[in-house]
Amino acid sequence: MSENMPTPGRIRHLAMPLALAGIVVFFATRESAFLGPRNLTQLLVEFSITGTLALGMFMILLTGQIDLAAGSGVGLIGGIAAVLVFQQGWPAPLALAAGLVAAILLWTLMGALIVRQRIPAFIITLGGLLVLKGMFWLTIQNTTVPVARGDQDNLYSLLTTYYVPKPMGLILAAGLAALLAGLAQRRRRERLANGIPEPSLNRARAITAIQSAGILAVAVVCNLFRGLPVPLLILAGTAGAVHFLTRHTPFGRHLYAIGGNEEAAVLAGIEVNRVLIGAFALMGVAVALTGFMTTAYAGASTTTVGDLMELDAIAACVIGGTALKGGRGTVTGVIFGALIMAALLNGMTLLAVSPEVKFIARGVVLALAVWMDVRLGARE
Amino acid sequence: MTKVLAARSLTKRFPGVVALREVTFELRAGEIHALCGENGAGKSTLIKLLAGIHPHGSYEGTLEVDGGPAEFGSIREAEAAGIAVITQEFALVDALSVAENIFLGREPKRGWRVDWLEMNRRAKILLAEFGLALDPETPVGRLGIGQKQLVEILRAVDKRTRILVLDEPTAALTQQEVAVLAEQLRKLRARGTACIYISHKLEEVFALADRITVLRDGASVCTLVASETTAKDVIRHMVGRELGELFPDRVTPAKDGVPPLLRVQNLEVTAPSRGNADLHGISFELHAGEVLGIGGLMGAGRTELLLHLFGAWGQRRRGNVWLAGRPHDDATPRRSIARGLVLATEDRRRHGLVLGQTVGFNLSLASLDAFTRGGLLDATAEFTRNREFFSALRVKAPDLAACVGSLSGGNQQKVVLGKALMTAPQVVMIDEPTRGIDVGAKAEIYALIRRLTNEGKAVLLVSSELPELMGLSDRILMLNRGTVGGTFTRGGFQPEMLLAAAMGRAA
Repeated sequence: MSENMPTPGRIRHLAMPLALAGIVVFFATRESAFLGPRNLTQLLVEFSITGTLALGMFMILLTGQIDLAAGSGVGLIGGIAAVLVFQQGWPAPLALAAGLVAAILLWTLMGALIVRQRIPAFIITLGGLLVLKGMFWLTIQNTTVPVARGDQDNLYSLLTTYYVPKPMGLILAAGLAALLAGLAQRRRRERLANGIPEPSLNRARAITAIQSAGILAVAVVCNLFRGLPVPLLILAGTAGAVHFLTRHTPFGRHLYAIGGNEEAAVLAGIEVNRVLIGAFALMGVAVALTGFMTTAYAGASTTTVGDLMELDAIAACVIGGTALKGGRGTVTGVIFGALIMAALLNGMTLLAVSPEVKFIARGVVLALAVWMDVRLGARE
Repeated sequence: MTKVLAARSLTKRFPGVVALREVTFELRAGEIHALCGENGAGKSTLIKLLAGIHPHGSYEGTLEVDGGPAEFGSIREAEAAGIAVITQEFALVDALSVAENIFLGREPKRGWRVDWLEMNRRAKILLAEFGLALDPETPVGRLGIGQKQLVEILRAVDKRTRILVLDEPTAALTQQEVAVLAEQLRKLRARGTACIYISHKLEEVFALADRITVLRDGASVCTLVASETTAKDVIRHMVGRELGELFPDRVTPAKDGVPPLLRVQNLEVTAPSRGNADLHGISFELHAGEVLGIGGLMGAGRTELLLHLFGAWGQRRRGNVWLAGRPHDDATPRRSIARGLVLATEDRRRHGLVLGQTVGFNLSLASLDAFTRGGLLDATAEFTRNREFFSALRVKAPDLAACVGSLSGGNQQKVVLGKALMTAPQVVMIDEPTRGIDVGAKAEIYALIRRLTNEGKAVLLVSSELPELMGLSDRILMLNRGTVGGTFTRGGFQPEMLLAAAMGRAA
């Protein structure tokens, strides 16, 4: 399918790993604990949380829209589930399901408002940011609502306290690596059989090798601490699903077409309104998953959960090469972008950088990413 | 009378096209000089040259203003020489008042502050001079199109404009507004302002103009004195050319007793906004293997008709459409494509293509359903099909992964057609297939259209170029302001008659 995607700026391809390496070296030289298994596991959890939300945001940005309500939604949905578990005594799975349904409904509603009433997404979701924040604080009554009663673990709290047993984690990682390698090989064989040009065998093998090594390395590092954290599995699942949706279904193709030229999309028979509402409904799923993980990671729902997360998600997408005006971007890029954001935030926390400076740094990174997007976009 | 402007042997080339060849043109003080010509005859290019939009050095030949050479490097320099161009797209700020717009960028000042009293006083004088009952403090956004145009003219007058160029000024005006405009232009003429007037409406041209220059295929054909010529003569000069050998031979298929693929009966359609033509009482039939040409002047409603049939424009008041014998009154683009009616759009950049994406992405965009198995895109099937069209259409690009925005106009047009044809349509609507592309690509596209009809498909072809319509069509429907101005059958195509039908005059 690569022949259907334009080659993104090569500078960007190199810039991302370089920036990541730079950030890692910077923090590692200042604080040796940065590369310790404990902190790396923590970083991976934070990365998973940011990444999951960014993957939802990615589909919205592809269409040329934006979602500013995501952060408030993360707090609200986590809060709803926490209240249901802690105050109402619901079983955790049921509470999480209720939160998920609420998120899908809310985001479908916002999507519907945007397409049916022709109100820009910027405004609807900016309003949503405030409305959902208010609903969030009403839900938890400005208190702290734990995700579990007493010391009993439940599905909700286990989201960030459970680790996959070490042998199991290795088996999972090896299985995933083998699955990806198998899929790649099958695809390659099918395409070659149909006379479709493919990169050389050596190159294909190198890519598979790097991919497998990366997956196994993550498992090994996590095993040095307690094992694979659950959020990482959720992120992997989400990334797989979003990659699949955007690359291998008509829906995904429609996202790119709408962001690239909405008029052409309409005239190609694409039902733009449905696709946009669909993208927002999926964003609801991403918000719910992120809400559960963030709240569980904090141990309880408090008024600041989810604050400004929409900006981190947008920054991750844009750093990863997603165009703000829509029509361009890849899942791999978003994952890299989220990793960069998570490494930055985690490193600053580790160095005990003051919140003031953290705010400024986040803002500068967001502005820089958008500036790069505009610069590279203008060159096309 | 004194010459204020002279153009000598102007030649302007664009990549692959010569837009103006050796154009010679003269404008006198105190005259209204009409420029006439078909779409694409070179009128707009000539104006852009006069206005400094195409700067000196980008063309050959000389321009003179007041007997001295004029070498405009920019619009600003042309304005400084006293030339103002008023087009259909206004250069007015809706939120500002009439007075503010007239003096935009040249506000009278007291110190560093705008002198509002003085501005409104001067605007009032100017308005009174032209007998206009407008309050200088009214926001321009509240004015009608005709009044906006007058505000633009006043701005030009205040700038001491000596050469006023009006490009299709009456296209969107009501009869009454046209009368007011004509009166103001006569006043300007009396003050010695020279005016270039471009219009497709010959009755207006004859009512206003002193002289008429006819352009055809980028060349100036002749300059006539209005009082000594007739509309018929002007049309003859506009058309007078021979059909090239560009068009494949054509035998109209017999269609006795075969039901039409597309039947349109008595359509009444309301435009979504003013400025577009409504469609009135349009009926026609289109049979398999046939090309029905749709002609007409700009704004006649040709593109709108196609978009409406496709389900993407206008509100139907009355009338019915049948596609292959089945009702097609509930058209949406998706339904149209599913039922075998497809549209290859005009203006590839705006409506036709996702420019940032690859050739392959665009080719298959309207046909994704055909490559979907159980909700999944079959990338191999898609690629194979794309490759088939890519080579059949002879798209000149490195491969399917090339960015469509980097292709030439002709090759982009092939991608637009390929996208439409991949949906396996019965009826193909093609809007301006050859605008802005070179002769070689044109011939290929003509051959492609012929191939479609040979395969038994029906083609509805919109074109501004009469030779193209006459060369390809079995029948031609000329539209005039949203109504059928005349229907012609192959063998009976005469350019003069077609053009007369488009202008709403019986020839």
